[in-house]
Amino acid sequence: MTRHLPALLFLVPLLAAVSLPVLCLKHRALSRPIALTAMFMMVGLSLWNLSNVSQYGEVRYAFSGWAPPLGIEWVADGLASIILVTLSLLGLSVMAFAGSMAPKNLEGRIVHFYTLILLLIAALTGIVFAGDLFNLFVFLEVAAISSYALVGMAGGRALMAAFRYLILGTLGASLYLLGVSYFYAATGTLNMADLADKLPHLLTSKVVVGGLLFMFIGLGIKMALVPFHAWLPDAYTHAPDSVSPILAALVTKVALLGWVRIIFWVLGAKAVVQNIPVLVLVDVLGMLAAVIGAVLALAQRDIKRIFAYGGISHIGIILIGISQGNQTGFVGGVFYLINDAVMQASLFFIAGVAAGQYGVRTVDDIGRIAKQTPWLTASLIAVAMGMIGLPPTGGFFGKWYIILGALEAHNYLAVGAVLLSTLLTLAYFVKIFERVFRQASMPSSVERIETPLPIKLSLGATSMAVLILGLWSDPLVSALIRLALPPGF
Amino acid sequence: MSDILIALFHRPNFLTFVIIFLWGFYIMVTRYNLVKKLVGMYLVQTSVIFFLVSISAKKGATVPILLSMTDPVEVAAYSNPLPHVLTLTAIVVGVATLGVALALCSAIYRSYGSLDEEEILKKLE
Repeated sequence: MTRHLPALLFLVPLLAAVSLPVLCLKHRALSRPIALTAMFMMVGLSLWNLSNVSQYGEVRYAFSGWAPPLGIEWVADGLASIILVTLSLLGLSVMAFAGSMAPKNLEGRIVHFYTLILLLIAALTGIVFAGDLFNLFVFLEVAAISSYALVGMAGGRALMAAFRYLILGTLGASLYLLGVSYFYAATGTLNMADLADKLPHLLTSKVVVGGLLFMFIGLGIKMALVPFHAWLPDAYTHAPDSVSPILAALVTKVALLGWVRIIFWVLGAKAVVQNIPVLVLVDVLGMLAAVIGAVLALAQRDIKRIFAYGGISHIGIILIGISQGNQTGFVGGVFYLINDAVMQASLFFIAGVAAGQYGVRTVDDIGRIAKQTPWLTASLIAVAMGMIGLPPTGGFFGKWYIILGALEAHNYLAVGAVLLSTLLTLAYFVKIFERVFRQASMPSSVERIETPLPIKLSLGATSMAVLILGLWSDPLVSALIRLALPPGF
Repeated sequence: MSDILIALFHRPNFLTFVIIFLWGFYIMVTRYNLVKKLVGMYLVQTSVIFFLVSISAKKGATVPILLSMTDPVEVAAYSNPLPHVLTLTAIVVGVATLGVALALCSAIYRSYGSLDEEEILKKLE
């Protein structure tokens, strides 16, 4: 049983997704308990998997017993297991949130909605575990196709946003596949561990350089790295309120994990391609994304758009962390990735409640609801502290370790970029809070609406998690150092 | 420069791949009709699949099915099945994407009564 944990973790959401349309054909109300049960099972299994991996080391799962270079292999190492626990917990809270949110804007399509969310979670599990470049491609596409459908579900404006996302996402996937076929032409293998053995001698080859370039651009589009981020704000803004939290929290972060896998597990941290160290390239791209994303966020008025651009800038901060070439930076980057997933989920919960319950979509109106929903304001404050990086939150410790790593690498430009991006983040949250508190003192015209308990629970859980991640950052970071470091660190 | 050209004409499959890819990309970028954009997108996908098939072609090789269990296996006599399997998977993924894209297109047509991007953007404002 323990041996098959990685496959089971994937099968639980997949089987639930496949069986939902059949089981809930007559009884739509069944879909929610089934989906929630599947997610609870997944949380349990992922915790079991983590304890198993931390006790006995990484698990390499070869499908149907075909040995790795030929067969398909999944790698459940420390990094994958930790990310998977985050993924399943966030998936559960998103599902609880969406269940109370969805009936409003997805009347009659609730079964499709749960099917697609479960399919997305299964595909993300596949990406996290994939030990093979082609497998990564397939799951990237399964995840992408379910997210296109999820974004487009609401109809109206979301349709065009979903179409654009689809066109760009497919271009990215094609480029990634092209890179994979270059690698295959050069080495004759697709297994990451096998490639790691064969590639170091081939890094001067033009085929490998070209393949690497195409793969980086392809995954860059998927994770909305700055020059390729055009699809993201529209897709997240127009997506149904119940869908954008999961997209923002997980989809781009998991594509980033694909980069991390290729850079550290396939190429090796010290790889130099055409006289350019890969890590320096990632560092530069990260700095650009961190600063440009935050500047663009400052220029927005729509709440969801501000948060979407904030997410783009945080992708950059994570990249700065992992590219410092030392333990502190890498662990800081991964820790920040987990934090950012939690923070993005709760930011979009807040934006979803504001838009779905009160019809508030822009910064100008947000103050109107502050008095009616003190708990919404409280959680916004908690998450904003995390996004800016104020001390008791996880966001602070993530940035702290990233900056320590950059100082260790004598990379003062990166320190500057993180600080500048922090200042800009502070600026756009000041812009939001200025409205919240100024208008809160005025008499309000909005009626008080009772918010369902699951929404409050999931919002409370994620905002608490922002603080808990900070308060327990010490054991978490040492667990990351013990489990999640790439080979050769 | 001439070396590159000569090298390119020795590998007509690479040249074909580049032409189909860029052609598809050009259609994707320049056309306003959403279905035409999808045609371009599908050309891009197909070009990558074509590339994967063409680099795995092997002269004088046969299907990888062993007829006898006792004879020693001559690796050179069989083509490598893996790229073809990858291609099949990539085709399936491409078809699934295209299906979702066409569904989106028809939904867009139903709500805006047009497939022209400029017209739709006008209606959105």
